[in-house]
Amino acid sequence: MFDWPLLQQNAPLLLDALWVTLQVSIAALAIGFVIGVIVGSLRLSPVPLLRRLGGAYIFVFRGIPLLVQLLFIYYFLPRIGLPNVSPTVAAVIGLSLAAGAYIAEIMRGGFMAIPGGQLEAAGLLGLNARQMLLRIRVPQAVRLTLPSLVNEMILLIKASSLVSVVGLADLTRTAQNLAASDYMFVQDYLMLAGFYCVINIPLAYCGSVLERRLKERGA
Amino acid sequence: MIFDPTIVTEHLGDIGSGFLVTLGTWSSGVVLGMALGMLIAVAQVFGNSLVRAPLRVFIELIRSTPFLVQLFLIYYGGPSFGLSLDPVPAGILGLGVYGSVYFAEIFRSGFDSVARGQLEAADCLGITRLQCIWRIQVPQMLVIILPALVNMITVLCKETAVLSIITIPELTMVLTGIGSETFAFVETLLMLCIGYLILVELCSRLGMLLETRVGRFMNRQAR
Amino acid sequence: MNSFLIPGGGASAEPRKQASEQQGDSMKTSATAPGEQPTILSLSKVGKSFGQLRVLKGIDLEVRRSEVVCLIGPSGSGKSTLLRSMAFLEEYDEGQIHIEGKLLGWQETDKGRKRAPQSQINQVRRNVGMVFQQFNLWPHMTALGNVCEALRQVRKLSADEARKRGMAMLDKVGLAHKADNYPAQLSGGQQQRVAIARALAMEPHIMLFDEPTSALDPELVGEVLQVMKTLAKEGMTMVVVTHEMGFAAQVADSVIFLDQGEVVTRGTPRDIFHNATQPRLQQFLQNYLDRNAFWQDGGK
Repeated sequence: MFDWPLLQQNAPLLLDALWVTLQVSIAALAIGFVIGVIVGSLRLSPVPLLRRLGGAYIFVFRGIPLLVQLLFIYYFLPRIGLPNVSPTVAAVIGLSLAAGAYIAEIMRGGFMAIPGGQLEAAGLLGLNARQMLLRIRVPQAVRLTLPSLVNEMILLIKASSLVSVVGLADLTRTAQNLAASDYMFVQDYLMLAGFYCVINIPLAYCGSVLERRLKERGA
Repeated sequence: MIFDPTIVTEHLGDIGSGFLVTLGTWSSGVVLGMALGMLIAVAQVFGNSLVRAPLRVFIELIRSTPFLVQLFLIYYGGPSFGLSLDPVPAGILGLGVYGSVYFAEIFRSGFDSVARGQLEAADCLGITRLQCIWRIQVPQMLVIILPALVNMITVLCKETAVLSIITIPELTMVLTGIGSETFAFVETLLMLCIGYLILVELCSRLGMLLETRVGRFMNRQAR
Repeated sequence: MNSFLIPGGGASAEPRKQASEQQGDSMKTSATAPGEQPTILSLSKVGKSFGQLRVLKGIDLEVRRSEVVCLIGPSGSGKSTLLRSMAFLEEYDEGQIHIEGKLLGWQETDKGRKRAPQSQINQVRRNVGMVFQQFNLWPHMTALGNVCEALRQVRKLSADEARKRGMAMLDKVGLAHKADNYPAQLSGGQQQRVAIARALAMEPHIMLFDEPTSALDPELVGEVLQVMKTLAKEGMTMVVVTHEMGFAAQVADSVIFLDQGEVVTRGTPRDIFHNATQPRLQQFLQNYLDRNAFWQDGGK
């Protein structure tokens, strides 16, 4: 059932593709984090218009399937005058926008969990809103929501399996190409699954350790 | 970017059938997922460790791998195991298996949320495990897990888009096909986006409605 | 009625006055010689409602430089709301609060008054420092980090300057050796002292204390009160909401008794604690005695 020599031959190719997947996922997490902090803050703004803006962003980017979002980017970018965007950039943009919506909700929860007195004290000491956000709210919100953020990373890595739609040769696309040429579907796709497991299972373990530690510390 | 509504009217039939396929696979996947999920949850909560260990492995594998990869294994890899499925059954099976793991987690937390004392009381009265689950735990936990269930059902709705990759003629495949034929990408993609947003919004509205209805029932009963 | 004070406890303002004579021209005033120091904080007919409930009614108050004012009263009397209004953490609805002559929180226009822009509010309360019941330290920064944060971000001091000033403040409250500890590693009393240091670092002209020891275990209350006594001796203007009658008796220049949102009476500690005439005040003090005096001289 398993063609070992073929497996050994394919493995390095998949390893290279794994690197692509990881790069894209990490980049999307970073940019998505920035988007998430911004949109999360918008959702908590005293200005109703800003709140609705944040809400609209989350509604759109969580409501539309990621595949459709990526298709949109693939067909849309050339039309607004960016025909030569590399698949990597398109993939990162697509994943970031979606990740931003999920992270916004995570961050919003984190922001709301910070005791209000700390912000009162900060305001009284003269810190402005930007300083409060960057120095007090974001660091603490991240600490409080770290398990959820780790979970988001796992989701991103899985979601990245769809980026072949914008032409990027990620882990899944590479496996598809291999299977198309050697017809060893079970073997190739099991290897593919294996690669994802190797990354995601340790990440999930980290997440649950973090979650346990957070509960112990009692926040 | 001129919006040309005739695209829609010309292909209404195809779009309609694509929509129906989406609805069909979605609901079948949800039903299958919840059924399997309940089985898994019951096995985890009430089964012995011989049963729990392989289940744990199964759950971790499904949760660590992308839905698309699971679909590929079922659809393309299945024949090697004697499982030659058409795209649609393969898609429904994929959705069901993928969803079952998450539903199981939700059901498990639901079981935990029903206070221990009630189970002990039932036990003392001689009520069997099965009766206890069905008559005491499930009704109560449904209210508590309803939001999580609605959320997961919504997630499965969005995952049906991925089914287009294994050539299931659901909404995404139909509309992108029309887009490629007529080069009317903006119109078709916009329709696609709006279509899913409507589905998602309907789902969450229904969910909220259910929550208030069932919640009212529960509050009246409790205490 | 019983002297409020447990037999043997001296309740005069003497010790403070002596200390104050050591200070150059920032002459301390006692409540018996008003008018020598500039008014730092003044409230005029201040009122506040939460919906239908009137929490503050027509409060008039003046606090002069170096004066220590203690607000006492039963819970629900509005003391905390009043104190928080002085920092505009609660928006008062009626009346005016002036800090060093400037109106706090509102702007008078010909169409009535509207909320002042945040920058203006911050400007007016720049020299107000506040210490909270729940300390409100930032848990992800060390003690020194907490103290230096505003110095760096608001006063724009360099890292070195901030560090120097921060360590000096921590030293002042006796916690220089805990500079690199996180709040979670400090006792409640230590955390509150760090909070005091944090407020002091900004060199406020007036310090507000909102029940600073109420959240502390009894053994830890003393160290915080000690710091506050030292501050008072050095001439800091302080407004303190407290249940610690001993502190009020020993340190305050004037004590204000609030009940149901209004000032019932104001006077020196001697007036309030020895010569209480108001029935509500008497009731309040008697309740306190019943709860706290652990020996009585049988009503003598």
